[in-house]
Amino acid sequence: MKPTLLTGNGAAARGVRLAGIDYLPAFPITPQTEIIETLAQWIQAGEMDCRMVTMDSEHSMITAAGTAAATGVRVFTATSSQGLLYGMEMIYTVAGWRAPFVLVNVSRALSSPITLEPDHNDVLAARDSGFLQIHCSTCQEVLDAVLLAYRLGEDERVRLPVIVNLDGYYLSFTREPVLIPSRKEAARFLAPYDPGETHFRAGDPVSQGVAVLGGSQYSYFRYETHLASIQALSVFNEICREYEKITGRVYEAVEGYRTTDAEIVFFMLGSFATKAKDAVDHLRKTGLKVGLVRPRLFRPFPAQAIIRHLADKKGVAVVDQNLSQGKGGILHAELSSILYNEERRPCVLVSFIGGLGGRDISVEEFFEMARVTVQAAESGKTPAPRLLYTHEELARMRGLQSIAGNRSPGH
Amino acid sequence: MKKTIFKTIKDLPRHHPLGAGTPACGGCGALEDIKLFCDILGEKTIFVNAAGCMTLLSVYPFTPFRGSWIYTAMASAPAGAQGVRDALDVLIQKKRLRPEDDLQVVVLTGDGSAYGMGLSATSGAMDRNLDFIYLCYDNEGYGNTGHQYSAATPHGAQTATSPEAGGYWGYKKDLFSIWAAHRPSYVATVSGSDPLDMARKIKKAKDLKGPRMFIALAPCPTGWHYDPKETVAIGKLAVKTGIWPLKEYIDGKVTHSKKPLSKEKRPGVEEYLEKQGRFAHLFKPRRNDELLAEIQARVDDYWDNIP
Amino acid sequence: MYRIRFHGRGGQGMKTAGRILGTAFFLAGYEVQDAPLYGAERRGAPMLSSVRANGKPINERGIINNPDLVIIADESLLTLPAAGVLPGLTSHSVLLIQTDQSAGTIKNHLHIKGEVLILPLPPDEKTTGGMALASASCGAAGARLCGLALDILEQAVRLELKTLSPNIIEKNLARSRQVFALLPAGIVREGKEIMAGWQRPHWIDLPMEEASISAPAIHGGATSLNMETGDWRILRPVIRTDDCVRCGLCHVFCPEGVISLTDDGLPEIDYHHCKGCLICLAQCPAHAIDAVPEHDKGGKL
Repeated sequence: MKPTLLTGNGAAARGVRLAGIDYLPAFPITPQTEIIETLAQWIQAGEMDCRMVTMDSEHSMITAAGTAAATGVRVFTATSSQGLLYGMEMIYTVAGWRAPFVLVNVSRALSSPITLEPDHNDVLAARDSGFLQIHCSTCQEVLDAVLLAYRLGEDERVRLPVIVNLDGYYLSFTREPVLIPSRKEAARFLAPYDPGETHFRAGDPVSQGVAVLGGSQYSYFRYETHLASIQALSVFNEICREYEKITGRVYEAVEGYRTTDAEIVFFMLGSFATKAKDAVDHLRKTGLKVGLVRPRLFRPFPAQAIIRHLADKKGVAVVDQNLSQGKGGILHAELSSILYNEERRPCVLVSFIGGLGGRDISVEEFFEMARVTVQAAESGKTPAPRLLYTHEELARMRGLQSIAGNRSPGH
Repeated sequence: MKKTIFKTIKDLPRHHPLGAGTPACGGCGALEDIKLFCDILGEKTIFVNAAGCMTLLSVYPFTPFRGSWIYTAMASAPAGAQGVRDALDVLIQKKRLRPEDDLQVVVLTGDGSAYGMGLSATSGAMDRNLDFIYLCYDNEGYGNTGHQYSAATPHGAQTATSPEAGGYWGYKKDLFSIWAAHRPSYVATVSGSDPLDMARKIKKAKDLKGPRMFIALAPCPTGWHYDPKETVAIGKLAVKTGIWPLKEYIDGKVTHSKKPLSKEKRPGVEEYLEKQGRFAHLFKPRRNDELLAEIQARVDDYWDNIP
Repeated sequence: MYRIRFHGRGGQGMKTAGRILGTAFFLAGYEVQDAPLYGAERRGAPMLSSVRANGKPINERGIINNPDLVIIADESLLTLPAAGVLPGLTSHSVLLIQTDQSAGTIKNHLHIKGEVLILPLPPDEKTTGGMALASASCGAAGARLCGLALDILEQAVRLELKTLSPNIIEKNLARSRQVFALLPAGIVREGKEIMAGWQRPHWIDLPMEEASISAPAIHGGATSLNMETGDWRILRPVIRTDDCVRCGLCHVFCPEGVISLTDDGLPEIDYHHCKGCLICLAQCPAHAIDAVPEHDKGGKL
């Protein structure tokens, strides 16, 4: 089989087409728009038997996606950044309906200041909603993740909506060779949608998403969704093995790269992880035992697999492409919480914040992060969290500030 | 010749599909409206609800509906209706649902959602010519949270957030005209106190396709401060005094299904206002002649300009 | 610490009763905590309010599970498990009910171990079930039974009702004095600070269950019929069959849809669900419907 050059957005659209969706509520937003435009063309050309409707907002779009899924059709939708946040009320709401569908989020940093390039604060804002989250690092993974997401969310042991995340620009607009499964292969993996008991129809009344009064009932329903999400871990492993049999591509909830004998490990999400792989290969040549651990599945959080990968490591450089204002890196906090009680936990976790708003992370910066982490492991002294920001950047910033002017006295 | 339906009270359905035992306040005008909608539309319905008083009709594990229901959020019930309608159409088209198992999709919101937060989603649904019925029960305030003023609150009404002597300073938004400007299939105002007019309009809408929009007056004993037994009487006075015009929009034209008597003969607005605690400040401790005259003049002006 | 629970229905003034008592304790120099608890703001539905008073700052919060005093504005709540008026009553606690029934009847029927006191309805309030002045009545009862002074109670009533007209405030003050004189002083004793011999909570590991039952969805129609909203009624509409002209208007206008018509057009009221709004009575052209106070029906227990 020969690969095809596809952008991340194109790969997402390919996956959606292979999934045989019934319904596509949409709303344009950069950098996601290419996905819905591509699907619109295929629908127009009769290549997909799907109804598409452009809604009046992402809030409306996610509402319609949820109610259509609750009516019993296979649904896809996509958004980015401000759109995901505008619809956030419904992200939480529809997850509680236990009606699965897939939403592709093309990560883009959040306002303010408003910007176009990626970081992960948008998708991490949906972290606690009940949506499962699969994070991709290549265009190939995007296509495969869409198919995996439908199987995972629709599994009767799970029944939850899924977000597939890809980074704006670095994946969305970047072409890479992608192997496209045949229709037959895709169909072998993903059967037509069986909504089970999830439907609205005459003679079988159901009141969905009803209010509850009292914390006891509320606790039950919320915790059941949590349990279903936890259950999705083993289901994910199971369907990945099945996918491997059909396509030959191996996926696991956590990707480990050269970790077996590694002493120092990069820990991060998304497309910048391939840059880290590059750095790992270079550093290995210098004799430094470095590796990379990257969760593909972020919700449910694959804690046990991560703990295994990180057992007895000397140090972990946690690279957060996000920032929890007033706290720091979100991955760093997540990782700390699962390692605290582990006897074989790594000696140090060093927190780096980088790649905010699409700011590049250079290979030299990966070298330096490795060096700082080695030093921390040897000295036993963990440095303060570090924003990846250079002297030169600040100098350029000063130049811009001098043009923008200021209102302080004397100016 | 076309058969006239709902000529007398006896022509109204004997059976009420809406179950009793709801948590709505005793004497709730909105429940009165919804009951009649269920009577006429039957059980093959799905109500798509936005946050409001009626959200608490379905509190786990109790629901009065014999059809289906889904609660969405305050801003997006019409979008929820879009998803359900489209999905039902897809299922029927792909032969995964028998056409006889189809449902009538009904959006159910209060005035808070209809006149405010949900207006954008409603506008979108009409733009897309969504095949649905929209029922706004208009109790003229954010009733579920203790009756603060909304964009549907009439001028001069005291609410929890307009407690001052003159009451609410704003003027009730003309939602009928805003909706009609979208040129949907049907727009009507109704009142539960006039069940024959309401039943005829629901029946008419039921037989049409596309967006069919209703604003139903929903007197609220709790928020308007009157004895619950007066709900129907107050609704009737709203129509008789001309404060609540009963009208419909269809094919680009607005017609009034019922007109109050002439200015000289119809009861003054005072008769309607004095029955409600929210307007008590117009009469006590001193009559507010100026404000009463203004309210009357606005009503008279409306009817003077009806062809 | 004193722990007092007031039970009533939305609209009956038990939030205000709790605030009157809370303010009275506060004026008497106590640390105080008072709060209403509604299911949802629905007139007629059971609600409660709670008051705590202590000589030192109060750290407890929320529902009172071990009351020293329970005051019930509306006797129909006694037989309504959802209202939760009886849980937590022990031989130590005092129960006060606004009713015309005898203390003995209530004590025997409901197997109450502690003291039961009756607050008779004022004669001119029989038709409203004593509801017009219920907040003053119940607030005053609480103050008296906890041994607070009359001048402090009067001050509290004035403060809590200050937005009402002077005439109404006077009526409430008069009722407060009347209740104060009727009841024994200071018979409620402060409860213990911490319950001795605590019981371990029986925690379980919540099993994971299929989405079809573990989502907040109701599978079936009209399950609300299980809710006996007839319990909300203070006045009962009764149709005088002989005077009924069988016009069907009560059937049409009943918002609850609880008036059905027999084959020959005679209306029948489903009292299990009728909330007693009396729209039927107001709209009956033949004036063939009467309103009968529920407590006059007797035998509710």
